[in-house]
Amino acid sequence: MSTGLSHDPLATSAATWRDRTEDPPAIPDELRPPQGVGVRERHRALWQRHALRRQRAEDVYAASRNPARGWPVSGNRAVLAFFGDLVRSRKKSFALLVALNALAAGSALVVPRLLGELVNRVQTQGAAVEGLDTLALVVVGVVLLQALFTFGAQRTSTHFGQDLLASAREYIVGTILRLPVGRVEGASTGDLVTRVTRDVGTMARSVQWGVPRLLISLLTVLLSVVAMLLNSVVLAVPALLVFSLCTPAVRTYLTRAPKAYITEGATYSRINTTLTETVEGARTVEALGLSAARVRAGSDDIEVSAQAERYGMTLRNVLFAALNGAFQVPQVVTLLVGAYAYGRGWVDLGQITAAMLYVVALSEPLDAVIGEVDRLQVGAASTSRLLGIAEVQPDREPGDRLPDGVELVGEDLRFAYREGHDVLHGVDLRLRTGERLAVVGPSGSGKSTLGRLLSGINRPRTGSARVGGVDLVDLPLEVLRTEVALVTQEHHVFIGTVRDNIVLAREDSSDDAVREALRAVGSLAWVERLPDGLDTMIGSGRFALTPAQAQQVALARLIIADPHTLVLDEATSLIDPRTARTLEGSMNNLLEGRTVVAIAHRLHTAHDADRIAVVMDGLVVELGSHDELIDLDGEYAALWRAWTS
Amino acid sequence: MQDFPPRTATFFSGSDAAPSPDPDTRTPAAFLRWVLGQQKALIALSSLCYSLWFLPMTLGPWIFGRAVDDGIVGGSTAALLGWATLLLGVVLVGAVFGIVSHTLVVRTWLIGLYGALEMVTRKVVQMGHVLPRRSPTGEVLSVASSDSDEFGALTEILARTVGQLVSYLTVAFIVLTMSWQLGLLTLVAAPVLVGAALPLLRPLHRRQQLERSRTSDLTSLATDIVAGLRILRGIGGEQTFGANYDRQSQSAKEAGVAAGIWQAVVEAVGVLLSGIFLVALVWLGTRQVEAGTLTVGELITFLGYGLFMVGPIRTFFEFAQKGVRSMVSARKAIAIFEQRPPWRAPAEPVALDGTGALHDTTSGLTVQPGILTVVVSAVPEQSSALADRLGRYLPADTEPVPVDGDDGVRGRAARRARAEKARERARIAALDEERAGHDWGVTLGGVDLARADLADVRRQVLVSDTGSQLFAGTLQDAVDPHGRLTREQAEHALRVANAEDVYDALPEGWQGQLDERGRGLSGGQRQRVVLARAIAADPPVLVLVEPTSAVDAHTEARIAERVAGTRRGRTTVVTTVSPLWLHHADHVVLLHDGTVVAEGRHADLLAVDDYRRVVARALDEEEATR
Ligand SMILES: Nc1ncnc2c1ncn2[C@@H]1O[C@H](COP(=O)(O)OP(=O)(O)O)[C@@H](O)[C@H]1O
Ligand SMILES: [Mg+2]
Repeated sequence: MSTGLSHDPLATSAATWRDRTEDPPAIPDELRPPQGVGVRERHRALWQRHALRRQRAEDVYAASRNPARGWPVSGNRAVLAFFGDLVRSRKKSFALLVALNALAAGSALVVPRLLGELVNRVQTQGAAVEGLDTLALVVVGVVLLQALFTFGAQRTSTHFGQDLLASAREYIVGTILRLPVGRVEGASTGDLVTRVTRDVGTMARSVQWGVPRLLISLLTVLLSVVAMLLNSVVLAVPALLVFSLCTPAVRTYLTRAPKAYITEGATYSRINTTLTETVEGARTVEALGLSAARVRAGSDDIEVSAQAERYGMTLRNVLFAALNGAFQVPQVVTLLVGAYAYGRGWVDLGQITAAMLYVVALSEPLDAVIGEVDRLQVGAASTSRLLGIAEVQPDREPGDRLPDGVELVGEDLRFAYREGHDVLHGVDLRLRTGERLAVVGPSGSGKSTLGRLLSGINRPRTGSARVGGVDLVDLPLEVLRTEVALVTQEHHVFIGTVRDNIVLAREDSSDDAVREALRAVGSLAWVERLPDGLDTMIGSGRFALTPAQAQQVALARLIIADPHTLVLDEATSLIDPRTARTLEGSMNNLLEGRTVVAIAHRLHTAHDADRIAVVMDGLVVELGSHDELIDLDGEYAALWRAWTS
Repeated sequence: MQDFPPRTATFFSGSDAAPSPDPDTRTPAAFLRWVLGQQKALIALSSLCYSLWFLPMTLGPWIFGRAVDDGIVGGSTAALLGWATLLLGVVLVGAVFGIVSHTLVVRTWLIGLYGALEMVTRKVVQMGHVLPRRSPTGEVLSVASSDSDEFGALTEILARTVGQLVSYLTVAFIVLTMSWQLGLLTLVAAPVLVGAALPLLRPLHRRQQLERSRTSDLTSLATDIVAGLRILRGIGGEQTFGANYDRQSQSAKEAGVAAGIWQAVVEAVGVLLSGIFLVALVWLGTRQVEAGTLTVGELITFLGYGLFMVGPIRTFFEFAQKGVRSMVSARKAIAIFEQRPPWRAPAEPVALDGTGALHDTTSGLTVQPGILTVVVSAVPEQSSALADRLGRYLPADTEPVPVDGDDGVRGRAARRARAEKARERARIAALDEERAGHDWGVTLGGVDLARADLADVRRQVLVSDTGSQLFAGTLQDAVDPHGRLTREQAEHALRVANAEDVYDALPEGWQGQLDERGRGLSGGQRQRVVLARAIAADPPVLVLVEPTSAVDAHTEARIAERVAGTRRGRTTVVTTVSPLWLHHADHVVLLHDGTVVAEGRHADLLAVDDYRRVVARALDEEEATR
């Protein structure tokens, strides 16, 4: 039997084969601390490693922004614009959020001033202080107000954050549901799954908490500075100067940290992926003696992750060195300046007390600002991956011509997944209305590709696939779906009601139409026995259907769509042989009266068809009825003989 | 001093060296003690460093107060400078130990986390196919992905608690010596402040739980939409499911808002209580200053400590919470770690001879060496059970037992349910040991498989079942996972399995990346790469279960011919009903109800009615039309 492939597919084998003895270790040796050298050398090596780890983090980050495979990633500007728009559309609640938080922060700042005032009075007036109780009551009043404002501010923050988040995620899912059909059909959905789970989670955390908290902390810092200056300029300025000393360290940290955290996150998902494979493939691992290799793969992942962790740790240590100094030294400064100014009579003890309380209290919101900016940057990276989905260009512009008739004709069809590598080399195929055409041929010969072109999923590189004289890819999707449908092995039961699962192609279908479709595929009986009938929730984690029922649901969808032509791509190959019999009737009801192109997996499908097309290496090499092809004595005949003798 | 990543060889050493000692899995508490005991010294050291890090907070207000008293009010510059220098010194000590304790705590945390991860991987490979029979995959994975982090967190919170305890005691001593009334107020107020929030926490947690469950429902909806995206874009339904998602998103938002409002209540109450406490402290303090029993500096010291004390108390509560969480994690972890492989190495293992005949007592099947035997059965499960026996795999006849019960039940009912599950796990383990301990009932070259080392069995007999999995990596790694093949051998394997198109579709050829589990390849492509891998492994005895079930007839015909050719002279068993394989079989065996009822060559067996019925649907049809 000929190979059916004109070129040698393994022609490049020698060039791409890799000698595995040269495989680099999981992490380069430069990332391990040197042994048996002096302190100075060790210290130098430490910073060298830090620089190398930074490079690795930059690489991971760059790769995550420009994935070689998978869906695109948008830029920072798009992220800013996206959230800018979302905030702009909530001007009122945003203003309320700012106002209430300012009030809460402001009232919090009054308290130290009043406490200072108390200290002042005891100190200056000594015994028999005037109005002490009144002042104490005033403080209690302020505290009450502060509590009320805090409640109001938190409440608006929650509303604002949650609302922003809900809009953002609904927008993302909306864009996913608009992805071009051709891209969806060809690409792996793994990357999308990661985006709608992990990235939406990360975005959620930063939108829900990060945005409001950053606002609150910034306001608190701002108002604290104002309060400190109002309390005493002399005491405030030196302390604030010391605070500001940490700015360069903070800036460096903030530019590097998100990349470090993204890298860490990536290493943990890698650890999880590897482990998941090991667990799910436990038997394969045992059978092939891969235990040691899998353990090594796991340890390698951990090694890589440890390097990412070390980078983050060093970044934080450098930051802490600056912050611990900058946040604590102002106490000493306040003390010294306070003593000097007190001696000169510039400030009183109350101001010193208040200044001390402010200085101590300032470190918390400052810390929070750094933390939230950090978190927001990580969130922004996730958001840019989410918004990248929206940047996929649509693959068709529906025209306004509607098909005249139901005849489907493919002419001179060529198609390439990679430029210069045609996998179809000019296929002509005219479907006869109502016929069953079986397509057979070896794997990789282009059967599925042909099926995609004939159902309008992809646009052929040359030639055309037309129904009723109109190019399939120029039809609006709603029209296309009622003309021709592609059915693959995949059958998915969505989380939703039985009705939701069936009306897909015509979402306004009546219950009677749904029942009719269910009857046609022989499932009305069991659906009516379900607890809530058509309204029963099915799908993963809900009421579970048997494989045969799931398949029937898939067929009922097609009855609702009611296309005149069906392309079945090995649609039945995954049907369990035991359920095949139950489904045969349902299938026949569906196929009844339609033109069917069946890409066949088993020869008896071909045998039963009106015509058979044999596809070899991107061309239809034989076309005719079973008997004609047997008489032709070509590829098909040879195979048939092998099958039946 | 230990460092991360930890070097472990628990459960599986990968070499001849003995593995490190097993963890203590008798009780969750014993396990946690073991986890912490692994890095006793490090945890003690980081506790010490924590308490030094907290020094500015512990001593700062006191020094500040003294400085006010002696230096500012007392007017002594020398005293002021002295106290200021001391404060600076304390601040610097704190800063340095802040960094040291951060470094140490990252270390203990990651040793805990990575150590648990390593143990999971090693336990999985140690148990092999036996583990999925006993424990749900999801549970094994969650020990790795979330419970391992709890163990890391436990080391951190332990060190922090000790550090905070030292600070708390120090501050308690200072404030009590200054004024016992105020000191007592400070000490008592801290637990009261934290405790007062507790009744509010329960409704908050309930709402947070609701929010979490709605959010996770939302995530499954999104995952569901993506998983069915081809259908949604191909057939339609975007509006319905988009609307479903939006509805769920809004309900998650409502739950989030409800939780947020309770959070706001908790925070507002916190602000109120701590504010009032501060006022009470100052009010009492000023009275004492008036009375002359307290100096102004001491009052300032009290102000400084007023809110500090809340920190340690919060830490103590956190410690209690995390302790409980770790116990839950420990329970899940020991359910995995306590399992032992059922196999017992024979006292005097016999070396197997892969060129001998293979015989299965249960079915009565004898596989002659060096030829291609095809096993035909109307019930696929029976042939795969036979294949499992031939390779010494325990049958997949058990239901994995989860540790997690219903979330609803608590207390005694939950304990009872847990005990029930533990018994069920023990029952399966006992059953496995019972099966593994006896003669296996399959002989290779006359030697029962139980009398040889399991590793020897795996080397001699390779069973490639329908669950065989591909791993993420390059195509080269997939075909040659051990890195032992020459390029020519790998090419040959790819050709035999007719998987050249997989190579062709990857621009990088052998270095093209396959996704995890071969996702991204079609079912047929995946099956053929798995076959290429089995062919490349070139074992003395190869058992292939339904190797071409997802492959079209053209390709199947080629594969059957090529596999028969390349395996000539080696023992090969294929279970299938496809005539395209049967043509190339040297010997065909018909299985009925799990036992051999007929055998011979394909052409001869066609005379047997049962055989014809199973094999050739096409034949029947042809006959009918004739
Ligand atoms: N998404 C894709 N990207 C790149 N190449 C592809 C893709 N899908 C298919 N191919 C290649 O196109 C050729 C034809 O594939 P296909 O139409 O799936 O064949 P068949 O269905 O007959 O097995 C094969 O060489 C295959 O490797
Ligand atoms: Mg195909």
